[in-house]
Amino acid sequence: MTFSLNMTFSDLLLLLPEILLTCWLCVVLIVDFSLPRLPKERLAYLSVAGLVVTLGCLGWFDLNHISGTLFSNMFVLDRMAIFFKIFILGATILVILASIEYVNRFTFFRGEYYCLVVMAALGMMFMASANDLLSVFVSLEFATLGFYILASYLRDDLASNEGGLKFFILGVFAAGLLAYGISLVYGETGKLVFSDMASTQATPGLIIGFLLIFASLGFKIGAVPFHTWIPDTYHGAPTPVTTFLSIAPKAAAFAILLRIFLVALGTFKPLWVSLLVAVSILSMTYGNIVAIAQRNIKRLLAYSGIAQVGNVLIGLAAGTKMGSDAVLFYLLAYLFANIGAFAVVIAVGQVIGRDEIEDYRGLNRRSPFLAFAMLLFLLSLAGVPPLAGFIGKLYIFVAAIKEGLYTLIAVGLINIVISMYYYLIVVKQMYINEPVDPSPIGISSPMKAVIYVGLAGTLVIGIYPQPFTDWVVSATLMFANFLGPSATVVPPSSPLGG
Amino acid sequence: MGEYALLYILFAPFAGALALIFVSNRQPLLVRSIATSAAFVSLIASLYLFYAYDPVKGGFQFIQKYEWSKQLGISLYLGVDGIGTPLVLASSILLFAGIFVSWHIKDRTKEFYIWLLILAAATIGVFMSLDLFFLYFFYEMSVIPMYLLLGMWGSHTKKYLEMTDPEGLKKRDSVGFILNFGSNSKEYAAMKLVLFLSAFAVVALMGILLIYKFSGLNTFDILVLREQANLMNIPVLGTTLDKIIWVLVFFGFASIAPLWPLHSWSPVGHAAAPAATSMLHAGVLMKLGHFSIIRVAFEILPETTRELMPIAAVLCMFSIIYGGFVAFYAKDTKYVIGYSSSSHMGYVFLGMAALNYISLSGAVIYMFAHAMATGMLFAMAGWVYDQTHSRDIPSLGGLSNKMPFISACFVVACMASIGMPGTVNFIAEIMIIVGSWNKYPLQVIVAMLGIVLTLAYLFKMMRGLFYGPMNQKYSHAHDAISTVDRLPLLIMIAVSVGFGIFPMHLYDVVRSGVDPLVARITLVVPVAETGEGVGMRSKATPPEKTSAPQAAHKSISHTPQVSRGGRE
Repeated sequence: MTFSLNMTFSDLLLLLPEILLTCWLCVVLIVDFSLPRLPKERLAYLSVAGLVVTLGCLGWFDLNHISGTLFSNMFVLDRMAIFFKIFILGATILVILASIEYVNRFTFFRGEYYCLVVMAALGMMFMASANDLLSVFVSLEFATLGFYILASYLRDDLASNEGGLKFFILGVFAAGLLAYGISLVYGETGKLVFSDMASTQATPGLIIGFLLIFASLGFKIGAVPFHTWIPDTYHGAPTPVTTFLSIAPKAAAFAILLRIFLVALGTFKPLWVSLLVAVSILSMTYGNIVAIAQRNIKRLLAYSGIAQVGNVLIGLAAGTKMGSDAVLFYLLAYLFANIGAFAVVIAVGQVIGRDEIEDYRGLNRRSPFLAFAMLLFLLSLAGVPPLAGFIGKLYIFVAAIKEGLYTLIAVGLINIVISMYYYLIVVKQMYINEPVDPSPIGISSPMKAVIYVGLAGTLVIGIYPQPFTDWVVSATLMFANFLGPSATVVPPSSPLGG
Repeated sequence: MGEYALLYILFAPFAGALALIFVSNRQPLLVRSIATSAAFVSLIASLYLFYAYDPVKGGFQFIQKYEWSKQLGISLYLGVDGIGTPLVLASSILLFAGIFVSWHIKDRTKEFYIWLLILAAATIGVFMSLDLFFLYFFYEMSVIPMYLLLGMWGSHTKKYLEMTDPEGLKKRDSVGFILNFGSNSKEYAAMKLVLFLSAFAVVALMGILLIYKFSGLNTFDILVLREQANLMNIPVLGTTLDKIIWVLVFFGFASIAPLWPLHSWSPVGHAAAPAATSMLHAGVLMKLGHFSIIRVAFEILPETTRELMPIAAVLCMFSIIYGGFVAFYAKDTKYVIGYSSSSHMGYVFLGMAALNYISLSGAVIYMFAHAMATGMLFAMAGWVYDQTHSRDIPSLGGLSNKMPFISACFVVACMASIGMPGTVNFIAEIMIIVGSWNKYPLQVIVAMLGIVLTLAYLFKMMRGLFYGPMNQKYSHAHDAISTVDRLPLLIMIAVSVGFGIFPMHLYDVVRSGVDPLVARITLVVPVAETGEGVGMRSKATPPEKTSAPQAAHKSISHTPQVSRGGRE
């Protein structure tokens, strides 16, 4: 394989968002150490400004349908990549706004915090565009590097150090698996670009290679049985980092998973459906059942996140164009509900100083707004109409039932009920129990903005999803070329199995 | 108004809830007046709907259709037929009455009305949905407000409150406590209700998804599905697909109805709920079950309904008898009414199971009638609880001296609940009994027994509350004097008695909804006869269209069974 680095201006245009953000990152870094007296929240707003500019650029790409590939297909900018980049940038902006208050807890390196967040976002933007196994490896490790540092940012906190170390050790192990998987796949096929692999034969080496790659990506999304780092890291990491960790890397990893399963492995669908079904059932059931026993809200949301990933995997297991639409849509619904819920956790933790579920006693009396917001976010995660999570779940179920994954849907439906129990336990603490200390809880204005965005997203997607479904449908149009027409019309004699 | 009536009915409560978010709790009068006006708009529009519905034309009227999601084949498709119309009316009457019943709630008034309005609006939404997705959407949406209403404004049982010693307190918080029948906390009741209903709702959702998939039409539109879906004779797991779907849908929705083995959440929930919530819960929320079964199972799977509906006929006997006996022995006012409701819902299942014009119309009218009767009973149990803070019948007594108006209303409510001539319940009961006699004589006898039981436990409760020696602890209790307190009871009595004396329009409306449905179910060509394995629906003309506009009393007196099936 030969690389040609003869880049034209129009090639550079495809990289424009990344270039912009990299320059901005340098500017933030320089401003940070050249103006040490500058209040750190200025840095936060500076980073947000850069992200917004990049977001605007991507929005312009999306409206003008700009697409193309670079570096012999290693980097692709299609509409799905744009979708995920917008998604990641949006999440990053919300996370930075939510961390402005929290950053004061850090004793050192408050300015670098924002740089690291933006750097991780940059890595994930490359993940969204990764179109071959090498760029998957490089971008994945680039993004995770920032997270290793961020997870252990509370230097004096044992839990944070422990969480960061666990994350690091297991993360490096996963990276090893990924590299080994890539080498196997390359050895078997001699190809690295996903779209070239579509015609290969399923040899044992190839299957093992892809299993290893899946394991490594499963680690990133936190699917059972690759989830063990999740609860401790989520619990120990600074809450804004947990927020970031719980949504953005998952989305970016799903972008890669979609490309691998639907493009590279589209022809082997019968082989991997049962794998995804099994992982999905395990994730949903394990996540939801263990979440019941949690006493800490961050751990509860960590386990609920594992279960949510199981739900997203249903859409991936459907393995159709509609399934990929559902995955994107579900992630969108999950973004708002999850960031919103964590924002409430940050706001409450800021005043109370702890994150136990008991601390939410009587939140309705202390801050009706926070309690109401948390109620809606949790119900959206549980999948209650008219909130975004319900439409997301339904979209995924509809996509899956068209492919006849009845067992998976039955398990998913049962899990909705299980999850409702532990979300309602939190609701009970907030609404039914009386507070021990009835003093009101104040919220800073950037935090309020984050919660309002979360509420708006959760409600608007739930009540009027049409623009969002249109968006995700157009974002995954390229999969229609790789997949056959979905089996919408079923012959009346098809047996009920699966 | 006119063709947009359904939108007014559905969205007025939502708009009210939305407006309430921006009002402070420090202005209780403003909060109440916003809630009242939202409910009033809904009530007026549904009265208009009820009288503007044209029973001669029949079918679905006031149709509103807005595309909602192209990809999933969902549209916000609203419309009412003769079955939905009276239930929409009942919901908005109960909402309006419920707002006055809960007039004196002081704690977090605004939140209470927000959730109450959302609950009622979601219920109304189910009654007018012609799209399976939105039917489920509103159905599930009505469950969550119940959790907060029960948990925040509900009340514990006496036994729970009595456990104040250290050991009892420990027991109260233990896990095993949830198995302790009769001494439940409101949190437990709320959680049980939500989990139970959600668990069965997802069962129904599975059925709906199977209908969606195997119809292959890529739509959730009930009217399209009932005309074009071909779900018959697909062999699956040793039986056929339509039966599986039917069972999923039937039991999924029957849990909220509540049919006998699935009823246990219901009395617990009734007991814990504040008065207005119990009214809506027993009055209309439970009818969502019957209504959804009619809308989904009856409309889309008529052949299977004819084949499998005897299941309901068997289970309804247990509902009637079991509920009746437990109500007789219960000592808690709200448990008595709660079990009486679940017993009375057995009549509706009986009427549905018999599958003929008279009995099914009776079932629909009974749903309407029961909403009023049980609404009154719960409103008054709530009043007594507010005055005495007790739901324990043995500790109460002699309250008729203190509250003559309430006790007079209670007598009327008992009469309505029993099905005394002159109330609309009488017409409904007699139609169910007459209509089912030919097909299910045993069940009819059980139903008669149930009426006797109703008489027994309601009179027992009436005596326990209002007559006999008075407990001096409650000497401060007072009657409902102000208009605000009397209005809800008077409205419900007026509706109950009014339709009891002039049932013609109600009957016509209901018949116009029931006739085509029963015709579809009973006149379809039997599956076996078509041979080809295609569940053809005959295009046979609906029979005796002329009978619909007949007046109720005439039609009943034409039926010879009335003397045999009569009461006493």
